[in-house]
Amino acid sequence: MNRNNFLIHIALAVVLVLVAGFAGQLRRWQKEYKSRVRIMPAEEKIRSAATTAEVSEIEARTLTVPEVLVKFKPGVSESTIRGITAKFNDRVEDSIESVQGLEAIDDLDNADAVQTAAAYLALPEVEYAEPNYEISIEDFESNPVRPSDPRFTDQWALANDGQRGGTQGADISAMAAWSVTTGDDDVVIAVLDSGVDYTHPDLQNNIWQRPANVPKYVDDAAGTIQDLQGYNAITNDADPMDENGHGTHCAGIIGAEGGNDIGITGVNWKVRIMPLKFMNAGGFGTTKDAIEAINYVIDRKNKGVNVRVISASWGSTNRSQALEDVIKKAYEAGILFVAAAGNASTDNDRRPHYPSNYDVGNVISVAALDRNDQLASFSNWGAKHVAIAAPGAEILSTWLGDKYEEKSGTSMATPFVAGVAALIAANESRISVDELRKRVVTSVDKLDSLKSKVASGGRINAAKALGAQ
Amino acid sequence: MSYSKEDALSKARHDLAKRLGVKEQDVREGSVEETDFPDTSLGAGSDDEMSGQMITRGWRIKLQANNRTYEYRADRNQVRLYDFKGKNFLL
Repeated sequence: MNRNNFLIHIALAVVLVLVAGFAGQLRRWQKEYKSRVRIMPAEEKIRSAATTAEVSEIEARTLTVPEVLVKFKPGVSESTIRGITAKFNDRVEDSIESVQGLEAIDDLDNADAVQTAAAYLALPEVEYAEPNYEISIEDFESNPVRPSDPRFTDQWALANDGQRGGTQGADISAMAAWSVTTGDDDVVIAVLDSGVDYTHPDLQNNIWQRPANVPKYVDDAAGTIQDLQGYNAITNDADPMDENGHGTHCAGIIGAEGGNDIGITGVNWKVRIMPLKFMNAGGFGTTKDAIEAINYVIDRKNKGVNVRVISASWGSTNRSQALEDVIKKAYEAGILFVAAAGNASTDNDRRPHYPSNYDVGNVISVAALDRNDQLASFSNWGAKHVAIAAPGAEILSTWLGDKYEEKSGTSMATPFVAGVAALIAANESRISVDELRKRVVTSVDKLDSLKSKVASGGRINAAKALGAQ
Repeated sequence: MSYSKEDALSKARHDLAKRLGVKEQDVREGSVEETDFPDTSLGAGSDDEMSGQMITRGWRIKLQANNRTYEYRADRNQVRLYDFKGKNFLL
Protein backbone atom coordinates (compact mmCIF):
# COMPACT_ATOMS: atom_id res chain seq x y z
CA MET A 1 0.00 0.00 0.00
CA ASN A 2 1.49 3.36 -1.03
CA ARG A 3 1.34 6.47 1.17
CA ASN A 4 -1.65 8.01 -0.74
CA ASN A 5 -3.82 4.89 -0.41
CA PHE A 6 -3.01 4.67 3.30
CA LEU A 7 -4.20 8.25 3.89
CA ILE A 8 -7.42 7.64 1.93
CA HIS A 9 -8.21 4.58 4.10
CA ILE A 10 -7.58 6.53 7.32
CA ALA A 11 -9.86 9.35 6.10
CA LEU A 12 -12.63 6.87 5.22
CA ALA A 13 -12.38 5.24 8.66
CA VAL A 14 -12.71 8.62 10.38
CA VAL A 15 -15.78 9.49 8.29
CA LEU A 16 -17.42 6.15 9.11
CA VAL A 17 -16.85 6.64 12.85
CA LEU A 18 -18.36 10.13 12.67
CA VAL A 19 -21.41 8.87 10.76
CA ALA A 20 -21.97 6.07 13.28
CA GLY A 21 -21.69 8.49 16.18
CA PHE A 22 -24.16 10.89 14.58
CA ALA A 23 -26.61 8.04 13.95
CA GLY A 24 -26.42 7.04 17.60
CA GLN A 25 -27.11 10.61 18.69
CA LEU A 26 -30.06 10.73 16.30
CA ARG A 27 -31.54 7.66 18.01
CA ARG A 28 -31.10 9.27 21.42
CA TRP A 29 -32.76 12.46 20.19
CA GLN A 30 -35.60 10.40 18.72
CA LYS A 31 -36.08 8.55 22.01
CA GLU A 32 -36.11 11.78 23.98
CA TYR A 33 -38.70 13.24 21.63
CA LYS A 34 -40.94 10.20 21.95
CA SER A 35 -40.63 10.21 25.73
CA ARG A 36 -42.16 13.65 25.82
CA VAL A 37 -45.55 12.24 24.82
CA ARG A 38 -47.62 12.73 27.94
CA ILE A 39 -50.29 10.12 28.48
CA MET A 40 -51.40 10.36 32.08
CA PRO A 41 -52.54 13.74 33.33
CA ALA A 42 -54.51 12.30 36.25
CA GLU A 43 -53.03 13.25 39.60
CA GLU A 44 -53.22 9.80 41.10
CA LYS A 45 -51.32 8.08 38.36
CA ILE A 46 -48.63 10.67 38.15
CA ARG A 47 -48.02 10.72 41.85
CA SER A 48 -47.82 6.97 42.22
CA ALA A 49 -45.64 6.51 39.18
CA ALA A 50 -43.20 9.00 40.57
CA THR A 51 -43.15 7.41 44.00
CA THR A 52 -42.56 3.95 42.65
CA ALA A 53 -39.66 5.07 40.54
CA GLU A 54 -37.20 3.12 42.67
CA VAL A 55 -38.66 -0.17 41.52
CA SER A 56 -40.14 0.69 38.19
CA GLU A 57 -37.15 2.53 36.84
CA ILE A 58 -39.47 4.89 35.05
CA GLU A 59 -37.78 7.98 33.87
CA ALA A 60 -39.91 10.80 35.19
CA ARG A 61 -38.95 14.15 33.82
CA THR A 62 -40.61 17.50 33.75
CA LEU A 63 -41.99 18.63 30.46
CA THR A 64 -40.07 21.02 28.25
CA VAL A 65 -43.24 23.10 28.25
CA PRO A 66 -43.89 23.45 31.98
CA GLU A 67 -47.17 22.32 33.35
CA VAL A 68 -48.33 21.89 36.89
CA LEU A 69 -51.17 20.16 38.69
CA VAL A 70 -52.75 22.38 41.29
CA LYS A 71 -55.41 21.35 43.77
CA PHE A 72 -57.29 24.35 45.06
CA LYS A 73 -58.94 24.18 48.46
CA PRO A 74 -62.69 23.54 48.65
CA GLY A 75 -64.68 26.71 48.21
CA VAL A 76 -62.18 28.47 45.96
CA SER A 77 -64.29 29.69 43.07
CA GLU A 78 -63.59 29.26 39.40
CA SER A 79 -63.21 33.02 38.95
CA THR A 80 -60.63 33.17 41.76
CA ILE A 81 -58.70 30.34 40.12
CA ARG A 82 -58.73 32.13 36.79
CA GLY A 83 -57.61 35.32 38.48
CA ILE A 84 -54.66 33.57 40.09
CA THR A 85 -53.56 31.88 36.90
CA ALA A 86 -53.86 35.13 34.95
CA LYS A 87 -51.68 36.86 37.55
CA PHE A 88 -48.98 34.24 36.96
CA ASN A 89 -49.47 34.52 33.19
CA ASP A 90 -50.73 30.95 33.17
CA ARG A 91 -53.89 29.35 31.93
CA VAL A 92 -56.08 26.47 33.09
CA GLU A 93 -55.63 23.80 30.48
CA ASP A 94 -57.98 21.24 31.98
CA SER A 95 -60.01 20.49 35.07
CA ILE A 96 -59.76 16.98 36.52
CA GLU A 97 -63.41 16.23 37.14
CA SER A 98 -62.88 13.30 39.48
CA VAL A 99 -60.97 15.42 42.00
CA GLN A 100 -62.77 18.62 42.90
CA GLY A 101 -60.52 21.66 42.59
CA LEU A 102 -57.75 19.89 40.70
CA GLU A 103 -56.55 21.88 37.67
CA ALA A 104 -53.90 21.17 35.06
CA ILE A 105 -52.20 24.50 34.41
CA ASP A 106 -50.02 25.67 31.52
CA ASP A 107 -47.29 28.15 32.30
CA LEU A 108 -47.16 30.50 29.30
CA ASP A 109 -43.74 31.82 30.40
CA ASN A 110 -42.16 28.39 30.09
CA ALA A 111 -40.73 28.70 33.57
CA ASP A 112 -39.33 25.76 35.48
CA ALA A 113 -42.20 23.47 36.51
CA VAL A 114 -40.85 22.85 40.00
CA GLN A 115 -40.60 26.59 40.66
CA THR A 116 -44.05 27.19 39.20
CA ALA A 117 -45.51 24.51 41.47
CA ALA A 118 -43.75 26.10 44.45
CA ALA A 119 -45.27 29.48 43.60
CA TYR A 120 -48.76 27.98 43.62
CA LEU A 121 -48.07 26.04 46.79
CA ALA A 122 -47.28 29.28 48.59
CA LEU A 123 -50.82 30.56 48.01
CA PRO A 124 -53.39 30.19 50.80
CA GLU A 125 -56.01 29.03 48.29
CA VAL A 126 -53.92 26.01 47.27
CA GLU A 127 -54.02 22.59 48.93
CA TYR A 128 -51.14 21.15 46.92
CA ALA A 129 -49.26 21.72 43.69
CA GLU A 130 -46.82 19.57 41.82
CA PRO A 131 -45.06 19.41 38.47
CA ASN A 132 -46.84 17.39 35.87
CA TYR A 133 -44.30 14.62 35.55
CA GLU A 134 -43.92 13.20 32.14
CA ILE A 135 -44.44 9.49 31.69
CA SER A 136 -44.18 8.27 28.16
CA ILE A 137 -45.72 5.34 26.40
CA GLU A 138 -42.27 4.41 25.23
CA ASP A 139 -40.96 4.41 28.78
CA PHE A 140 -43.57 1.91 29.90
CA GLU A 141 -43.06 -0.33 26.94
CA SER A 142 -39.30 -0.17 26.86
CA ASN A 143 -38.87 -0.56 30.61
CA PRO A 144 -40.89 -3.61 31.54
CA VAL A 145 -40.01 -4.63 35.07
CA ARG A 146 -38.75 -8.17 35.44
CA PRO A 147 -38.50 -9.60 38.94
CA SER A 148 -35.51 -11.55 40.23
CA ASP A 149 -37.61 -14.50 41.39
CA PRO A 150 -36.00 -17.59 39.79
CA ARG A 151 -39.24 -19.35 38.78
CA PHE A 152 -40.75 -16.27 37.16
CA THR A 153 -40.04 -17.85 33.78
CA ASP A 154 -42.61 -20.55 34.64
CA GLN A 155 -45.29 -17.96 35.41
CA TRP A 156 -46.85 -17.78 31.95
CA ALA A 157 -49.86 -15.91 33.28
CA LEU A 158 -47.67 -12.94 34.16
CA ALA A 159 -45.35 -13.05 31.15
CA ASN A 160 -46.19 -15.51 28.40
CA ASP A 161 -43.15 -15.98 26.15
CA GLY A 162 -44.76 -18.94 24.42
CA GLN A 163 -43.26 -21.34 26.93
CA ARG A 164 -44.57 -24.93 26.89
CA GLY A 165 -46.64 -24.43 23.77
CA GLY A 166 -48.29 -21.24 24.92
CA THR A 167 -49.06 -18.13 22.92
CA GLN A 168 -46.74 -15.21 23.34
CA GLY A 169 -48.55 -12.31 24.98
CA ALA A 170 -51.44 -14.40 26.29
CA ASP A 171 -50.91 -13.03 29.79
CA ILE A 172 -52.09 -10.24 32.05
CA SER A 173 -49.31 -7.81 30.95
CA ALA A 174 -47.83 -7.78 34.41
CA MET A 175 -44.38 -6.46 33.51
CA ALA A 176 -45.78 -3.32 31.91
CA ALA A 177 -48.11 -2.86 34.88
CA TRP A 178 -45.17 -3.08 37.27
CA SER A 179 -43.69 -0.03 35.56
CA VAL A 180 -46.45 1.87 37.34
CA THR A 181 -46.65 0.01 40.64
CA THR A 182 -45.67 -3.33 42.12
CA GLY A 183 -48.17 -2.95 44.94
CA ASP A 184 -48.36 -1.32 48.29
CA ASP A 185 -48.31 -2.79 51.78
CA ASP A 186 -51.02 -0.35 52.75
CA VAL A 187 -53.48 -2.38 50.68
CA VAL A 188 -55.07 -5.36 52.42
CA ILE A 189 -56.63 -8.19 50.45
CA ALA A 190 -58.60 -10.87 52.27
CA VAL A 191 -58.02 -14.41 51.05
CA LEU A 192 -61.22 -16.13 52.11
CA ASP A 193 -60.29 -19.76 51.69
CA SER A 194 -58.70 -22.74 53.46
CA GLY A 195 -56.44 -20.31 55.29
CA VAL A 196 -52.90 -19.45 54.22
CA ASP A 197 -49.55 -20.94 55.18
CA TYR A 198 -48.35 -17.68 56.66
CA THR A 199 -44.89 -19.17 57.30
CA HIS A 200 -44.17 -19.84 53.63
CA PRO A 201 -40.89 -18.04 52.79
CA ASP A 202 -42.44 -16.40 49.73
CA LEU A 203 -45.50 -15.17 51.65
CA GLN A 204 -44.46 -14.40 55.21
CA ASN A 205 -43.38 -10.83 54.53
CA ASN A 206 -46.68 -10.02 52.84
CA ILE A 207 -49.01 -11.38 55.52
CA TRP A 208 -51.26 -8.87 57.22
CA GLN A 209 -50.68 -8.25 60.91
CA ARG A 210 -53.32 -6.55 62.99
CA PRO A 211 -51.96 -3.08 63.81
CA ALA A 212 -51.73 -2.19 67.47
CA ASN A 213 -54.32 0.56 67.07
CA VAL A 214 -56.95 -1.88 65.76
CA PRO A 215 -58.82 -3.61 68.58
CA LYS A 216 -58.95 -7.41 68.86
CA TYR A 217 -61.88 -9.08 67.17
CA VAL A 218 -64.91 -9.69 69.34
CA ASP A 219 -67.14 -12.55 68.26
CA ASP A 220 -70.57 -12.83 69.83
CA ALA A 221 -70.13 -16.53 70.51
CA ALA A 222 -66.39 -16.88 71.19
CA GLY A 223 -65.75 -13.56 72.88
CA THR A 224 -62.50 -11.67 72.30
CA ILE A 225 -60.14 -13.25 69.78
CA GLN A 226 -56.45 -12.35 69.54
CA ASP A 227 -56.53 -12.02 65.78
CA LEU A 228 -52.86 -11.36 65.15
CA GLN A 229 -52.88 -12.33 61.47
CA GLY A 230 -56.33 -13.31 60.36
CA TYR A 231 -59.17 -15.51 61.48
CA ASN A 232 -60.29 -19.13 61.51
CA ALA A 233 -64.08 -19.33 61.19
CA ILE A 234 -64.14 -23.12 61.58
CA THR A 235 -62.67 -23.19 65.06
CA ASN A 236 -63.56 -19.57 65.77
CA ASP A 237 -60.03 -18.70 66.78
CA ALA A 238 -57.06 -16.70 65.60
CA ASP A 239 -55.11 -19.33 63.69
CA PRO A 240 -55.85 -19.40 59.94
CA MET A 241 -53.08 -21.90 59.06
CA ASP A 242 -53.87 -23.69 55.81
CA GLU A 243 -54.12 -27.50 55.97
CA ASN A 244 -55.19 -28.03 52.37
CA GLY A 245 -52.95 -25.89 50.16
CA HIS A 246 -55.71 -24.25 48.11
CA GLY A 247 -55.67 -20.98 50.04
CA THR A 248 -51.88 -20.83 50.04
CA HIS A 249 -51.88 -21.27 46.26
CA CYS A 250 -54.37 -18.45 45.79
CA ALA A 251 -52.45 -16.20 48.19
CA GLY A 252 -49.25 -16.71 46.21
CA ILE A 253 -50.93 -15.64 42.97
CA ILE A 254 -52.07 -12.43 44.63
CA GLY A 255 -48.99 -11.60 46.60
CA ALA A 256 -45.98 -13.92 46.74
CA GLU A 257 -43.20 -11.50 47.55
CA GLY A 258 -41.62 -10.19 44.37
CA GLY A 259 -37.97 -9.50 43.75
CA ASN A 260 -36.78 -11.52 46.74
CA ASP A 261 -34.70 -13.97 44.70
CA ILE A 262 -36.80 -16.95 45.77
CA GLY A 263 -39.58 -18.88 44.10
CA ILE A 264 -42.20 -16.88 42.28
CA THR A 265 -43.73 -13.43 42.35
CA GLY A 266 -47.33 -12.50 42.93
CA VAL A 267 -49.31 -10.01 40.87
CA ASN A 268 -48.43 -7.75 43.80
CA TRP A 269 -44.79 -7.82 44.90
CA LYS A 270 -45.86 -6.25 48.13
CA VAL A 271 -49.34 -6.24 49.63
CA ARG A 272 -50.96 -7.33 52.86
CA ILE A 273 -52.71 -10.70 52.65
CA MET A 274 -55.30 -11.25 55.35
CA PRO A 275 -55.62 -15.05 55.79
CA LEU A 276 -59.13 -16.31 56.47
CA LYS A 277 -59.98 -19.93 56.98
CA PHE A 278 -63.42 -21.40 56.47
CA MET A 279 -62.51 -24.47 54.42
CA ASN A 280 -60.91 -27.47 56.14
CA ALA A 281 -58.08 -29.83 55.23
CA GLY A 282 -60.31 -31.38 52.58
CA GLY A 283 -60.82 -28.00 50.93
CA PHE A 284 -64.49 -27.54 51.67
CA GLY A 285 -66.48 -25.57 54.22
CA THR A 286 -69.93 -24.41 55.19
CA THR A 287 -71.89 -21.36 54.08
CA LYS A 288 -72.21 -20.34 57.71
CA ASP A 289 -68.44 -20.25 58.22
CA ALA A 290 -67.98 -18.29 54.98
CA ILE A 291 -70.47 -15.75 56.31
CA GLU A 292 -68.61 -15.60 59.65
CA ALA A 293 -65.34 -14.91 57.86
CA ILE A 294 -66.84 -12.17 55.68
CA ASN A 295 -68.35 -10.67 58.80
CA TYR A 296 -64.83 -10.60 60.28
CA VAL A 297 -63.50 -8.74 57.22
CA ILE A 298 -66.27 -6.14 57.42
CA ASP A 299 -65.60 -5.66 61.12
CA ARG A 300 -61.88 -5.15 60.50
CA LYS A 301 -62.66 -2.70 57.70
CA ASN A 302 -64.96 -0.75 59.98
CA LYS A 303 -62.21 -0.69 62.60
CA GLY A 304 -59.83 1.02 60.17
CA VAL A 305 -58.09 -1.82 58.30
CA ASN A 306 -57.70 -0.91 54.62
CA VAL A 307 -59.30 -4.08 53.23
CA ARG A 308 -60.09 -3.40 49.58
CA VAL A 309 -60.77 -6.84 48.15
CA ILE A 310 -62.05 -10.27 49.17
CA SER A 311 -60.77 -13.07 46.96
CA ALA A 312 -63.23 -15.97 46.93
CA SER A 313 -62.02 -19.00 44.97
CA TRP A 314 -64.89 -21.26 45.94
CA GLY A 315 -68.57 -21.84 45.48
CA SER A 316 -71.44 -24.19 44.87
CA THR A 317 -74.72 -24.32 42.98
CA ASN A 318 -76.73 -23.74 46.16
CA ARG A 319 -78.07 -20.25 46.64
CA SER A 320 -77.93 -18.71 50.09
CA GLN A 321 -79.78 -15.48 50.83
CA ALA A 322 -77.71 -15.07 53.99
CA LEU A 323 -74.45 -15.25 52.03
CA GLU A 324 -75.76 -12.75 49.50
CA ASP A 325 -76.79 -10.42 52.31
CA VAL A 326 -73.35 -10.43 53.91
CA ILE A 327 -71.70 -9.80 50.52
CA LYS A 328 -74.01 -6.78 50.19
CA LYS A 329 -72.74 -5.63 53.58
CA ALA A 330 -69.19 -5.96 52.28
CA TYR A 331 -70.21 -3.82 49.29
CA GLU A 332 -71.59 -1.17 51.63
CA ALA A 333 -68.27 -1.26 53.46
CA GLY A 334 -66.45 -0.57 50.17
CA ILE A 335 -64.99 -4.03 49.64
CA LEU A 336 -64.74 -5.66 46.21
CA PHE A 337 -65.74 -9.34 46.07
CA VAL A 338 -64.00 -11.39 43.39
CA ALA A 339 -65.44 -14.87 42.93
CA ALA A 340 -64.67 -18.01 40.93
CA ALA A 341 -67.17 -18.80 38.17
CA GLY A 342 -66.86 -22.56 38.77
CA ASN A 343 -65.36 -25.58 37.03
CA ALA A 344 -68.34 -27.53 35.72
CA SER A 345 -67.90 -26.50 32.04
CA THR A 346 -71.41 -25.08 32.16
CA ASP A 347 -73.21 -21.83 31.42
CA ASN A 348 -73.78 -19.85 34.63
CA ASP A 349 -76.63 -17.95 32.97
CA ARG A 350 -78.52 -21.25 32.78
CA ARG A 351 -77.12 -23.12 35.79
CA PRO A 352 -76.18 -20.54 38.42
CA HIS A 353 -73.06 -20.81 40.53
CA TYR A 354 -72.73 -18.94 43.82
CA PRO A 355 -71.43 -16.61 45.13
CA SER A 356 -70.21 -15.61 41.66
CA ASN A 357 -73.77 -15.22 40.33
CA TYR A 358 -75.04 -12.86 43.02
CA ASP A 359 -76.27 -9.64 41.46
CA VAL A 360 -74.48 -7.36 43.90
CA GLY A 361 -72.48 -4.33 42.82
CA ASN A 362 -69.14 -5.48 44.21
CA VAL A 363 -69.13 -9.01 42.75
CA ILE A 364 -66.83 -9.88 39.85
CA SER A 365 -67.23 -13.40 38.50
CA VAL A 366 -64.10 -14.87 36.89
CA ALA A 367 -63.69 -17.55 34.21
CA ALA A 368 -60.39 -19.33 33.48
CA LEU A 369 -58.16 -19.24 30.41
CA ASP A 370 -55.40 -21.55 29.30
CA ARG A 371 -51.96 -20.45 28.10
CA ASN A 372 -53.30 -19.97 24.57
CA ASP A 373 -56.04 -17.51 25.50
CA GLN A 374 -58.72 -20.17 25.13
CA LEU A 375 -61.44 -20.68 27.70
CA ALA A 376 -60.14 -23.56 29.83
CA SER A 377 -61.97 -26.81 29.15
CA PHE A 378 -63.25 -26.98 32.72
CA SER A 379 -64.29 -23.33 33.09
CA ASN A 380 -67.84 -22.13 33.48
CA TRP A 381 -68.89 -19.16 31.42
CA GLY A 382 -71.86 -16.80 31.18
CA ALA A 383 -72.45 -13.84 28.89
CA LYS A 384 -74.44 -12.16 31.65
CA HIS A 385 -73.19 -13.61 34.91
CA VAL A 386 -69.46 -14.05 34.30
CA ALA A 387 -67.70 -10.71 34.06
CA ILE A 388 -64.17 -11.43 32.96
CA ALA A 389 -61.59 -14.12 32.32
CA ALA A 390 -58.06 -14.60 33.64
CA PRO A 391 -55.35 -17.25 33.40
CA GLY A 392 -56.37 -20.33 35.34
CA ALA A 393 -54.69 -23.42 33.90
CA GLU A 394 -51.30 -24.81 34.93
CA ILE A 395 -50.66 -21.95 37.33
CA LEU A 396 -47.53 -22.16 39.46
CA SER A 397 -47.86 -20.83 42.98
CA THR A 398 -47.00 -21.37 46.62
CA TRP A 399 -48.00 -24.59 48.39
CA LEU A 400 -47.76 -26.16 51.82
CA GLY A 401 -44.36 -27.24 53.11
CA ASP A 402 -42.51 -24.28 51.54
CA LYS A 403 -43.24 -25.82 48.14
CA TYR A 404 -44.60 -24.63 44.80
CA GLU A 405 -47.15 -26.48 42.70
CA GLU A 406 -49.02 -26.04 39.44
CA LYS A 407 -52.80 -26.06 39.80
CA SER A 408 -55.77 -25.36 37.55
CA GLY A 409 -59.22 -23.94 38.10
CA THR A 410 -61.28 -20.80 38.22
CA SER A 411 -59.88 -20.77 41.76
CA MET A 412 -56.57 -19.80 40.18
CA ALA A 413 -58.08 -17.24 37.80
CA THR A 414 -59.85 -15.41 40.61
CA PRO A 415 -56.74 -14.23 42.50
CA PHE A 416 -55.27 -12.78 39.30
CA VAL A 417 -58.28 -10.47 39.09
CA ALA A 418 -58.23 -9.79 42.83
CA GLY A 419 -54.52 -9.08 42.57
CA VAL A 420 -54.97 -6.58 39.75
CA ALA A 421 -57.68 -4.86 41.80
CA ALA A 422 -55.16 -4.56 44.63
CA LEU A 423 -52.61 -3.02 42.24
CA ILE A 424 -55.19 -0.43 41.19
CA ALA A 425 -55.96 0.32 44.83
CA ALA A 426 -52.23 0.70 45.46
CA ASN A 427 -52.01 3.20 42.64
CA GLU A 428 -55.24 5.05 43.39
CA SER A 429 -55.80 4.84 47.11
CA ARG A 430 -59.07 6.79 47.03
CA ILE A 431 -60.78 4.82 44.28
CA SER A 432 -64.29 3.75 45.24
CA VAL A 433 -65.46 0.15 45.09
CA ASP A 434 -67.74 0.97 42.16
CA GLU A 435 -64.92 2.63 40.23
CA LEU A 436 -62.58 -0.23 41.11
CA ARG A 437 -64.98 -2.82 39.75
CA LYS A 438 -65.58 -0.78 36.62
CA ARG A 439 -61.85 -0.32 36.04
CA VAL A 440 -61.19 -4.04 36.39
CA VAL A 441 -63.91 -5.21 34.02
CA THR A 442 -63.19 -2.57 31.39
CA SER A 443 -59.42 -3.13 31.39
CA VAL A 444 -59.45 -6.18 29.18
CA ASP A 445 -57.98 -7.53 26.01
CA LYS A 446 -60.98 -8.58 23.95
CA LEU A 447 -60.66 -12.15 22.72
CA ASP A 448 -62.59 -13.96 20.03
CA SER A 449 -62.62 -17.02 22.28
CA LEU A 450 -64.60 -15.07 24.90
CA LYS A 451 -67.28 -13.60 22.66
CA SER A 452 -70.67 -14.44 24.18
CA LYS A 453 -68.82 -16.22 26.99
CA VAL A 454 -68.10 -13.43 29.45
CA ALA A 455 -69.73 -10.01 29.78
CA SER A 456 -66.56 -8.00 29.16
CA GLY A 457 -65.52 -10.25 26.29
CA GLY A 458 -61.95 -10.23 27.46
CA ARG A 459 -58.98 -11.24 29.54
CA ILE A 460 -57.88 -8.98 32.36
CA ASN A 461 -54.97 -6.69 31.49
CA ALA A 462 -53.12 -5.25 34.48
CA ALA A 463 -51.22 -2.70 32.39
CA LYS A 464 -54.44 -1.29 30.95
CA ALA A 465 -55.96 -1.18 34.42
CA LEU A 466 -53.08 1.03 35.52
CA GLY A 467 -53.04 3.19 32.41
CA ALA A 468 -49.74 1.78 31.20
CA GLN A 469 -51.13 0.62 27.86
CA MET B 1 -56.52 -38.83 57.80
CA SER B 2 -54.65 -39.30 54.55
CA TYR B 3 -56.15 -41.96 52.32
CA SER B 4 -54.39 -44.27 49.91
CA LYS B 5 -56.34 -45.73 47.00
CA GLU B 6 -56.69 -48.98 48.93
CA ASP B 7 -57.90 -47.17 52.06
CA ALA B 8 -60.49 -45.28 50.03
CA LEU B 9 -61.70 -48.46 48.31
CA SER B 10 -62.03 -50.27 51.63
CA LYS B 11 -63.95 -47.42 53.21
CA ALA B 12 -66.29 -47.16 50.21
CA ARG B 13 -66.98 -50.88 50.21
CA HIS B 14 -67.74 -50.85 53.93
CA ASP B 15 -70.03 -47.84 53.55
CA LEU B 16 -72.03 -49.32 50.69
CA ALA B 17 -72.51 -52.63 52.45
CA LYS B 18 -73.82 -50.82 55.47
CA ARG B 19 -76.16 -48.59 53.46
CA LEU B 20 -77.60 -51.49 51.48
CA GLY B 21 -77.66 -53.93 54.38
CA VAL B 22 -75.53 -56.50 52.59
CA LYS B 23 -72.28 -58.27 53.45
CA GLU B 24 -69.06 -56.59 52.32
CA GLN B 25 -68.12 -59.65 50.25
CA ASP B 26 -71.33 -59.07 48.26
CA VAL B 27 -70.06 -55.68 47.16
CA ARG B 28 -67.96 -56.14 44.02
CA GLU B 29 -65.32 -53.79 42.73
CA GLY B 30 -66.35 -52.50 39.31
CA SER B 31 -63.48 -50.18 38.51
CA VAL B 32 -61.09 -47.74 40.11
CA GLU B 33 -59.69 -45.05 37.88
CA GLU B 34 -57.53 -42.03 38.57
CA THR B 35 -59.20 -38.87 37.30
CA ASP B 36 -59.57 -35.11 37.68
CA PHE B 37 -62.56 -33.77 39.59
CA PRO B 38 -63.84 -30.22 39.14
CA ASP B 39 -63.39 -29.01 42.70
CA THR B 40 -62.05 -29.87 46.13
CA SER B 41 -65.33 -31.62 46.98
CA LEU B 42 -64.64 -33.88 43.99
CA GLY B 43 -67.77 -32.67 42.21
CA ALA B 44 -69.81 -34.36 44.93
CA GLY B 45 -70.44 -31.57 47.39
CA SER B 46 -73.33 -31.90 49.77
CA ASP B 47 -75.95 -29.23 50.43
CA ASP B 48 -74.68 -26.17 52.28
CA GLU B 49 -71.10 -26.96 51.33
CA MET B 50 -68.72 -24.61 49.56
CA SER B 51 -65.69 -26.02 47.81
CA GLY B 52 -62.49 -24.70 46.31
CA GLN B 53 -62.80 -24.36 42.53
CA MET B 54 -59.55 -26.16 41.81
CA ILE B 55 -59.17 -29.23 39.63
CA THR B 56 -58.45 -32.05 42.06
CA ARG B 57 -56.83 -35.38 41.28
CA GLY B 58 -58.49 -38.40 42.84
CA TRP B 59 -60.07 -41.80 42.25
CA ARG B 60 -63.44 -42.67 40.81
CA ILE B 61 -64.48 -45.92 42.47
CA LYS B 62 -67.36 -47.91 41.01
CA LEU B 63 -68.86 -50.63 43.16
CA GLN B 64 -71.58 -53.11 42.29
CA ALA B 65 -74.18 -54.63 44.54
CA ASN B 66 -77.77 -55.81 44.12
CA ASN B 67 -77.30 -55.58 40.33
CA ARG B 68 -76.66 -51.85 40.52
CA THR B 69 -73.54 -49.68 40.21
CA TYR B 70 -72.64 -47.05 42.80
CA GLU B 71 -70.03 -44.34 42.44
CA TYR B 72 -67.64 -43.18 45.11
CA ARG B 73 -65.11 -40.41 44.71
CA ALA B 74 -61.99 -40.10 46.80
CA ASP B 75 -58.67 -38.35 47.17
CA ARG B 76 -56.09 -38.33 49.92
CA ASN B 77 -58.36 -36.10 52.05
CA GLN B 78 -61.79 -37.62 51.71
CA VAL B 79 -64.16 -40.31 50.43
CA ARG B 80 -67.59 -39.36 49.07
CA LEU B 81 -70.61 -41.21 47.77
CA TYR B 82 -71.86 -39.56 44.60
CA ASP B 83 -75.51 -39.19 43.62
CA PHE B 84 -76.96 -41.82 45.94
CA LYS B 85 -80.74 -41.45 45.71
CA GLY B 86 -80.12 -37.95 44.35
CA LYS B 87 -77.76 -36.82 47.09
CA ASN B 88 -74.04 -36.73 47.77
CA PHE B 89 -72.53 -37.88 51.04
CA LEU B 90 -69.18 -37.21 52.70
CA LEU B 91 -68.06 -40.34 54.57
